[in-house]
Amino acid sequence: MTFGALAAWQAWLLVLGAGLAAWWLFRMKVRPPRLAVPSLLLWRRVLDDRSAPSWWDRVRRAVSLAVTVLVAASLGMAVARPAPRAATGTEGRLLIVLDASWSMRARTADGQTRWARAVAGARALAQAAGGDVALATTADGLVEGPTADSALIATALDRLEPSGGEAAAWPRVEGVAVTHFFTDGALLRPVEPGTIVHSVFSPAPNIAINAFSARPGTSSAAGPSAYLEIANYADEPQRVHVTVTRAATVIVDRWMDLGPAGVAHEVLPLDATGGGTLRARVSAEANALDVDDEAVAWLAGGDPISVAVVTPEPDAWSSLFAGDPTVRASVVSPSGYEGAAADVFIFDRWAPTNAPGRPALYLAPPAVGWLARPVESEVTPAWGTSDWHPILEGVDPFTLDIARAWRYEGPSLQPVAESARGTPLVSLLEAPDARGVLVAFSPAESNLTSAQAFPVLVGNVLDWLARPAAGDPRAPGPVDLPASTTRVTSPDGASVPLVRAGDRVLATLRAPGLYLVEAGGARSVIGVNIGNPAIANLSRTTLEPDVAAARVPAGVHRAWWFYLAGLAFVLVAAEWWTWQRRITV
Amino acid sequence: MFDAAFLRKLEHLRLVSARAFAGRDRADRLTDKRGRGLEFADHRQYAPGDDIRHIDWKAYKRLNRLLLRLFDEEQDLPVYLFLDASRSMAGDGKFDQARRIAASLCYIGLVHFDRVTILPFRNGLAREIAPGRGRGRIFQVFDTLAAMEADGGTDLGQSIRQFASRTFRRGLAIVLSDFFDTSGVEAGLKMLSSLGHDLLVVQVFSPRECDVDVLGEVRFVDAESGEHIDLDVTPGVARAYREAWVRHAEAIEAFCRRYRVPYLRASAADPFEEIVLRTFREGGFIE
Repeated sequence: MTFGALAAWQAWLLVLGAGLAAWWLFRMKVRPPRLAVPSLLLWRRVLDDRSAPSWWDRVRRAVSLAVTVLVAASLGMAVARPAPRAATGTEGRLLIVLDASWSMRARTADGQTRWARAVAGARALAQAAGGDVALATTADGLVEGPTADSALIATALDRLEPSGGEAAAWPRVEGVAVTHFFTDGALLRPVEPGTIVHSVFSPAPNIAINAFSARPGTSSAAGPSAYLEIANYADEPQRVHVTVTRAATVIVDRWMDLGPAGVAHEVLPLDATGGGTLRARVSAEANALDVDDEAVAWLAGGDPISVAVVTPEPDAWSSLFAGDPTVRASVVSPSGYEGAAADVFIFDRWAPTNAPGRPALYLAPPAVGWLARPVESEVTPAWGTSDWHPILEGVDPFTLDIARAWRYEGPSLQPVAESARGTPLVSLLEAPDARGVLVAFSPAESNLTSAQAFPVLVGNVLDWLARPAAGDPRAPGPVDLPASTTRVTSPDGASVPLVRAGDRVLATLRAPGLYLVEAGGARSVIGVNIGNPAIANLSRTTLEPDVAAARVPAGVHRAWWFYLAGLAFVLVAAEWWTWQRRITV
Repeated sequence: MFDAAFLRKLEHLRLVSARAFAGRDRADRLTDKRGRGLEFADHRQYAPGDDIRHIDWKAYKRLNRLLLRLFDEEQDLPVYLFLDASRSMAGDGKFDQARRIAASLCYIGLVHFDRVTILPFRNGLAREIAPGRGRGRIFQVFDTLAAMEADGGTDLGQSIRQFASRTFRRGLAIVLSDFFDTSGVEAGLKMLSSLGHDLLVVQVFSPRECDVDVLGEVRFVDAESGEHIDLDVTPGVARAYREAWVRHAEAIEAFCRRYRVPYLRASAADPFEEIVLRTFREGGFIE
């Protein structure tokens, strides 16, 4: 027997002390009620006749004393929280690992989820453990322990939920003697040698969205579209209800029939405007897993961005964004900047005295303390080397004639393109509170505004500035974000922890849904979908046939202390009932 | 206590006793006692036809002559009511019942026997109540009895010894008590009987003292001495007490039967007039 709340010697000392205290209290005479009688003459005779207690009196007294001591001992034992020693094969540290894959949320035929079965098996193991217990999941690693307090493990088991982590590393805990792993085997996962694997797999039918993505239009003829793939992982054909919404508009709402193991693909044409958020939902009668019933996608450009151009030559910019439905442009002179509001600014040969608080493109800005200052110029610089960067994607530098380029010095500038002599021609500004692109030459000292590269460059810059993290929806897991990322908000509104490593920001996007990424004043959306046939197909498992099914205790499984406390209560009730009838003393 | 209802019942008892005693003169009753209760007056020569029961055989032995004893007829029969006024009588209406019985007997006695003396006793004799002759004195008796309190211990033997040390004519002694006397009651009753009095024992009890209606740990406190004992009253103990009380009452009854002393048990819950009538029957005054 082990004790969860006290050391063994403390527990036994408590039980012994409780028993002795009960015995002492039992022996103590409680002042009885007084009753005046005419004479003690007859009572003395009765007393004399009964001077020696009969055997029945002795039995009554002994039974009452035994019951009283047993009640005290039961309560003392319950406080100490005993538990049976388990046949775990070892007295050493026990590690329990739960597979936190999304497939563990699947409901089995008996109405339980695979996760619930795993938790029940883990709980039984933890309560029966003879030593320290550590609890880990494949998603979060070590979550509790190592500890001898079974209550902590039980509490941790109550709060855990399957949360993906398919790519997470195997948890490691020092000094583990035996490891138990509860899994449904949906994903092939390498485990440590010697690990005892418990299977919670049972086949179940499922309907899943395997893929959902949106692509912007490539031309006026080829507008944006969405791709949807639905699969029926059931042995029977199913009638599936499909809905697709864009912002608040329902663009698809119909039923389709899918045969057993059937897959449906569909390309949905989309309007150029109407919002960027797309959601697809499926439902069917035989559908054991819920997390793959909904998918999201983000259509880049689906939400137009507002651009304010602050320039001393508005005419040069007036036609740049004409015909681009993804941009709402306004052109103002520097004097009109104060009232301008936009998602992105373009400052042409001008910069505000304070940071704009929004991403911005700076074309040969004058010296401002918070940004940079030109220190020297290079005449007719030749475009030299450049690191690959999305803002230079498709930009042909040979179409640019630059008369003069300035070397800017600033604390956060990172050159992505330089002249042959090393003068930074295009630099990035990426700090937690500022995001920008600085071009070292102005339209006045180059053919920038008339070059073919100009609209491409500006378009790339706007995309990069305004949509710092875009792209196709991805699977749950870690994501690389720009260094200027300040906040990532999960679908449920919580902030996702960010890890900064050098010039990178890492975040783990675990739950499916749309995540809002804020970087230097820009906002963009990342979609995360489950969409994995390995998870969605609940009829298969990677576990070997000889893997034992997880043993879940039948009925209500409660700790011993509960039964001990119940025993004490029953004994007290029995003692009271017999005392009322003078059966016991 | 001695209210109008009590007086009505008292009058009814008087009428009953009057019918019962009618036709029996005092002498008949007296001579039934075989000389006890009669005073010797003189001798005369025996003549044929005289009652040979009155021949003084001692004188014949001495004088060799047949002489007849002559007696003076008693004008009254003293009745002595020994009333237990100890604290043990205080509870459950016993003392009130005893006082009513004593008052009733006193009244009847004043009507028929002329001389009744109430002798309250505790650890010894208390001040007696001797109303004198005539039933007009009964209200004085009532007042004295009503003012009496049950207090102190019980020692019947000591009380009888004190009674014996005084000069009392032989008569009828009625003892009204619960007989909870740690010194024992037999010696006192024997002494009373040996004094030549006709004895009648009335054991007064309350229904509550015959039984135990409480269970569990109880501290019993003696009403007279204040001593206590702690006892765990179980059904078995309660049964033992009931049996002890019955044995106690039966012991007194057996003693009385052995010495041919009329005995009756009077419950405090019974109507006092019934007890008085039973007293008459036990005392032989009525059939």
